[in-house]
Formats: sequence, C-alpha cells, structure tokens
Amino acid sequence: MKPKVAFFDFASCEGCQLQIANLEEEILDLIKIVDVVSFREVMKEHSDEYDISFIEGSIMRPMDEERLKKIRNRSKTLVAFGACACIGGVNKIRNQWSSEEVKKEVYGNSNLEDNKYFDVYQTKAVNEIVPVDYYIRGCPPSREEIKKVITALALGKKPDIPNYPVCVECKKNENICLFELGKFCLGPITRAGCNAICPTNGEPCDGCRGILKKPQVQCVMDVLKRYDLTYEEMKRRALLYNYNEEDEK
Amino acid sequence: MSKSNDVKIITKKELDNFVNSLIKEKKFDVVGVKSKGERFVYGNIESSDQLRLDYDVTILPPKKYFLPQYEKLISFDLKNPLKSKNNLDTSERIIIGMHPYDIIALEQADIVYLDSQQDDFYKKRRENTIIIGVDIQNVSDRSFAESMGTNVTKSGFDLLLTKIAGRYAVTIGSKKGSNLLDKYAETKKAEKADIEKIKQERDKIAKSYKKEVKIKGIDDWSKLLSANYNNAIWEEKSDKCLECSSCTMVCPTCYCYDVKDNVSLNLENGERIRTWDGCLLRDFTEVSGGEVFRESIRDRYRHRFYRKGNYLPSRYGFIACVGCGRCGTACLPDIADPCDLINDLSVFGGKDDPNKFFIKKKSKSQEEGIIHVPRSATIKQVEKETENETFFKLKLDDGKPLNHEPGQFVEVSVFGVGEAPFGISSAPDNTPIFDIVVRKVGDVTSKLVKMKKGDKIGIRGPLGHGFDMKSFEGKHLLLASGGTGVIPMRSVIQYLTNPKNRKKYKDVTILYGCKEPSQMLFSHELEDWKKCPDVECTLTVDQCPEGECWDGNVGLITTLFPKIKLDEYDSENTIAIVIGPPVMYKFVIKCLQTLGIPDKNIWVSLERRMKCGVGKCGHCQINGVYCCKEGPVFNYEKIKELPEAFE
Repeated sequence: MKPKVAFFDFASCEGCQLQIANLEEEILDLIKIVDVVSFREVMKEHSDEYDISFIEGSIMRPMDEERLKKIRNRSKTLVAFGACACIGGVNKIRNQWSSEEVKKEVYGNSNLEDNKYFDVYQTKAVNEIVPVDYYIRGCPPSREEIKKVITALALGKKPDIPNYPVCVECKKNENICLFELGKFCLGPITRAGCNAICPTNGEPCDGCRGILKKPQVQCVMDVLKRYDLTYEEMKRRALLYNYNEEDEK
Repeated sequence: MSKSNDVKIITKKELDNFVNSLIKEKKFDVVGVKSKGERFVYGNIESSDQLRLDYDVTILPPKKYFLPQYEKLISFDLKNPLKSKNNLDTSERIIIGMHPYDIIALEQADIVYLDSQQDDFYKKRRENTIIIGVDIQNVSDRSFAESMGTNVTKSGFDLLLTKIAGRYAVTIGSKKGSNLLDKYAETKKAEKADIEKIKQERDKIAKSYKKEVKIKGIDDWSKLLSANYNNAIWEEKSDKCLECSSCTMVCPTCYCYDVKDNVSLNLENGERIRTWDGCLLRDFTEVSGGEVFRESIRDRYRHRFYRKGNYLPSRYGFIACVGCGRCGTACLPDIADPCDLINDLSVFGGKDDPNKFFIKKKSKSQEEGIIHVPRSATIKQVEKETENETFFKLKLDDGKPLNHEPGQFVEVSVFGVGEAPFGISSAPDNTPIFDIVVRKVGDVTSKLVKMKKGDKIGIRGPLGHGFDMKSFEGKHLLLASGGTGVIPMRSVIQYLTNPKNRKKYKDVTILYGCKEPSQMLFSHELEDWKKCPDVECTLTVDQCPEGECWDGNVGLITTLFPKIKLDEYDSENTIAIVIGPPVMYKFVIKCLQTLGIPDKNIWVSLERRMKCGVGKCGHCQINGVYCCKEGPVFNYEKIKELPEAFE
C-alpha cells in the first residue's frame, strides 16, 4: 500500500510546493511510491483521507489554527514544509509590531473588524500549534532533500536531516569563506542540508533553515571584530528568517 | 620508495611543456593548484598557465583526492541488494603542486588507512596517483610548518619541484616519477651548484615563517597534553566555539567519516555514501539509543587536540598536525590553531603520562578482505523475545563459519537504511549460524524487526576483540549483566555451559537484572543454564508492576552482591565479566571490589558509536582507544584510568 500524501498551504508564497512541481519528470517516480491525494497547486482533486501531510506556510489567524488541528488529527505523519512552516520565517519579521500596527500600516483605515480573514495574530510556526513529526527546512527546501525525506518516509526510516551547520557543507564545497570577503554569513550557526547553496554562489547564508544553537556573546563579538563587521549587519541578517521575541527583550 | 635522490633541472618553459603534454595525453586526470579569487584550490587544469606553483596554501588539502568529500562505496539494487557492487575508482591521476606538509599529511593517512584492514578505496586511489610536489615559495601567514619540521620532505613524492633562479630543480622520488619525466620532459642533469641552490632556497623560505610553535617534537607535545587534560584552557577556549567543525573539514590530517545509504526516488536503487565527519559535531558520538558520549563542547574541542598531539602519536608515532595553518584561517573565533593552543598551554609545563593507553594487536578472528562490502546472510529464525527485543538466528550464505570470540560484534546492513553494530549473542560453534538480538531504537533496528524468515541482510565481521575464554580456564566466573548487556553475555554463558567446556572452568555465577519481569531476555533459557552443573543464576528486576508475576529479587543488580557469601569466595581466582548500560559499571565494579576481586580479573564490554568497525572512522574513540578495534571488551585494570571510559 502506497502512503497517501496531501499538501496544504497556509501563509506562504507556495514556493515550497512549487519545488515539488519542479521535480518535473521525477514526479512520475514520486507517484510510484506515494499517492498524492491533495495538492492544490498541481491538481484539482482533493481527498480528506491521507497518511502524510505536508504543511507549507506559517500560522497567522484563529481560522488557520483550526484548519491545522483538523489536518493534524487526520494525519499519521505531519511534515512542516519550508521555512515559514518550520520556523515562521519571513512572516515573523512582522512580530516586531503588534497586529493592530501591522493592519494599519498595510490596510490603512479600511474597516476590517469582524472580518475573519483579517483576524491576524502574531505569526507562529506550525510546531507552536500542533506536534510536528519531521521538518523539511529552507526557503525554499532543496529538491534533493525533499526526495530524501519522501523516500525515507516511504521506506519507513527517519529522514536524515543534518544536525550540523552550513559550514560543514560549505567547506566540503571548498568555498572562500564569506567572512574573508567581508560579508556577514549565518552559515556557522544555521542548520545544513542545503549543500551550502547560497555561500557556494557567493551569497551569505540568511539562516532560512533555522538557527542550530546560539553562540556565546563573546564569540560573536570576537568574530565581528576579527572581520571588521558591525553588530547591525549581523542583526539585519538574523532578522530575516529568525526573528525571535526572546532576543528583543 | 626509491633511494636515489637524483636531481634534474628543467626550465620554466620545459616545465610548461611537460605539464601540457601530460594534459594532452588524456591518460591522466591532471590536477594542479590554481587560483580561486584571492585563494587557491586543487582542481583539474586544462593548461599549464593555470598552475600557480607560487601559492601559499590551498583552501582544502589534497585529501579530497584520496578520501573524497562524498564517495560511493557500494551501489545496490534494492530488490537484490546483495549483488552490491564495490565502486573502486580506477582513474589515474597526477597531482601537481603538493607542498611538503601536505605530502607528509598524506604519508600519515597512509599509515592509518593502509594499516591492518586496509581501506581498499583509499589504497586504489593511492596506487593510481602520481604526486608531483613543489617546495614552498610563499609562506601562508598562518602556517607554522617550519617549527613542526614539515616545511620540507625527503619522501612521499614521485617528483619534487624546487624553484631556483627562474628554473626548477626536479628531485626524483620514485621510479614512477623518473619514468614520467623521461617520457614527457626535457631535462638536464643538475650541477653541484644547483643542489646547493635548492638548499639555499629552502633555507631562505624557512626564515619567512611568522608563526612558530614553542613545543617541538612528538614526546613534548604528548607530555604537555597529558599534563593538562583538566586545564581551564579547554573551557575558556571552547566557550567561543561555534561547533561548526570547519577546523576538521579543512585539516589534512582529519579523516574521520560517516557512512549513509541513499535511495533513488523510485525506491529501486541505492548507494552507500561515505562522507567527511568531524569530531567537533555533537552527533559524532551519538548512538542510536540517543546516548552522546562526548556531550560537552569542551570535551569535543579538547578531543581534537588530543587526537592530534597525543592519541595518534601514541598509536602511530606521528603528530597529526603538519602546521599548514588552514584551521586557523577557517575558524571564525580563531580558537582552532594548534600553534596558538600549544603555545598558550606551554606555560603550564608537561609531564610523562603514567596511564599511556594500550593498543592491542589485531586478533586472528578479525575479518580480512574488503572492509566496506558486507557478506550476504539469511534470516533463519525470528522470534519476539520481549516487547522491545527480537531474536534472530542468521546464516552466512557463503557457508563459512563466523569464527568469532564471545564479546565480538558484527555490523548488520539493511540496504537502503544503513548499518548498525550488534553484539553476537551465541557461542562460537564452527558453523555459519549465529544469533543476534535486536532492540528497536533506530532506523536499522526498526527495519530489522519487521523482517521475516528467509529475508536477506548484510554482515561485516566478526569485529573487535572479544573475551579470551582460554585465559579464564580453571577460574570461577562471575557474570553480571544489566538490561541488554545479557545479549552478548549469552555468548559467554553458552560457551561456559557447553558440556565440552564446562569442566575447564570452576563454578559460574550468573547475575542478571532488568527493569521489569516482562523485559527479561532469554527467559526460556534461564532454566537450562541453572540446570548445568555448578552454575548458579540469580535474577533481579528493578520493579515489578502490578499484574506482573515475579518471585525473584526486586532491586538493582547491586542488591544481589551481598548475597554472595564472601568467606566462600575465592576472589583471587575469580574472573568477573560485566556488561550493561553505561551507568551500571561504576556501581557493579564497586561491588566486585568489595568481594575482593582484583581489578585485573574484571572484564567489561563498552558501548560506543561503532560505525566502521575497523578503527578508521573515528566515532567510537574513547580518549585514544578505538572501542571497535581494541574493544569492545576491555580489561578493567587497563582502562580504569582512561578518561571518558566510565565518566
């Protein structure tokens, strides 16, 4: 029996699902091992019977929360899919402000009261609402990793998601360290698995796969000093995907 | 290695011709040092113009050509995995531009990888590679090779280039090198003045090092580290560690690895991939049960330096640092540089290590042959032992006996999922049949417990050192096992209760404890063991939940010891064997000592992350000891002082 798989999106750009659509002819291999029963971006059929659900996007409203809980109840395995689902991602940047402030900034004086679609609260990652079995990280997730996770689930083994930082993959790719080039990169503390795609292409890591472990303050200061970088540069980069209320207190 | 130190002279133009004809020949994969931005890397070259023999240091060392970042060990068809193929790389390669320190690092890797139980993949690449070294022309800011004595080398190359006044001197290191030169290059004989010039050039460069390590020589490194195991420096420095393991990735003498199975999206084919791993990473020592044997970053940070300056020196006789300075450049908080560390530590002084660890010679029963490819075995019997454990009887399909000692282990492959180590649970009996017991904790075990009679798996082994049962003859035996420790202990018990062996030993006392009655393993065999002449078997459970039936002792295994009558106990002539979870050893050993059993009579079997099983991948190291190779069975007296063993 092939496992039944469903894809769902919440607050997101749907770029993660697009990564699956972009598997192109490999989708034929994919449907050999799983039955895709719901995938709004590529098919019109939908079924509420599934074993594995992939959740894309972050949770912003009470109605999202309700929908997510329903999906959780129906799924044997729930996978948080992409940065917004795994860590809140870009959507969390707005948690710097209250929902009222945000609504005012975006919608001006439009009367949004009693409109459930605009009943937003502070952005949450999926695991802040329901238990998550596995995470496919990244913005967007790498196709290689998506395939790895799906084959692992089909084989009944735990997906092998690295528990070490991007530097490991970056070093294996023999890149010049971006710090040496005067750029602040989050690679040393960001979870790997992307094969260091950004640094390999000359762009600093933005931490889209989530921070592994916060470094000691003294260490950060030493590094900034050694490479003549500012605290502001670091802060800006850390904010993009990894806004954390705790840090702001 | 040829003894001749024949030297030829080649002009810059002729050197270019030489390199270009090697490229044109298309017989070899021609690799050289070329620029990458402001830095340098080893890579394929298309023309001699790309060669940068004036480089200071490359980002990665040339180890990537011998132990690639990602290497396919075997490929398999999931429907028929045991027809798996060995993927030996047979391409011929020439590497141009290796600096002496990298050549020396490669010679060290030879010792590790071509040591008993040779790595076939490494060996093949090594045989098929011609090394054209070059003497350093520009010293990297971070290098301290001169003070390590690794800035020059007399061996390890086929040819060695030294730039002298616009020309190159070519020192011939091997017949292979000499033949290559004869065939592809125009050279002339070196004059005496040229030889003198080589020395002058080397001396001149030697003076341009900015960094110098104050402690020199293998003995002094070892003494310094031995004396400072508990120095506050490890904590101070590691507080700044980002745990990124960049230091080990760029190191020419770090070659620990991990192995993983990858499967194609249609689940038809798979590959077993070896990739670089680093001891600074937390998961490096994690076993599938979740235990991490080097949890604190201080211990991991320290481990890296001890491996370089103490463990490998004791084992192989070299300092596993060649002073290239790559780690110093790569480490963002700049705490990885061995030169800085040793210099900082040098003020504290050194001393001889009274507890130099021991290294056993290879045992007879360790497997010979290709180390990465498993043998096929068939599951002959599967039985659920308890809620969590499943018993397997396995038969090697080649019909050869496993020939193990009690206490040894095998690596079991479930293709597509991976490998995991299991203690052999049956006594050696000269047949291809043996037992293992599987507790469902990780991926391999979860898959294994779902397998059925007739299914095929892969076996590597027997691996490690077991109990030398012969040396226990004529003694009393006290066997203490806790939890799953009874699984390998069963091999010892079966051996001792075998009528053929029973008379060779005095009485046997079996103590076995587990959490609850329902978790007791081999419950159907316990009665048989008790029936053997002069065998006593006492069981205990930590607790007996309501509804379960138990008429034996309740309490930890240590509560069984006071029941052993001391005055009747011939402790000097008793051998004690302890196998259990890490937490058990300390307490049980104390009980044994109370009984008067000398430490030299106590034997233990330790659990660590045994991945390769042949002392190469580095995961199971307890301090400097490879648990998979020297162990898992150890004499307590010999390792009681070994840091990390019982902490």
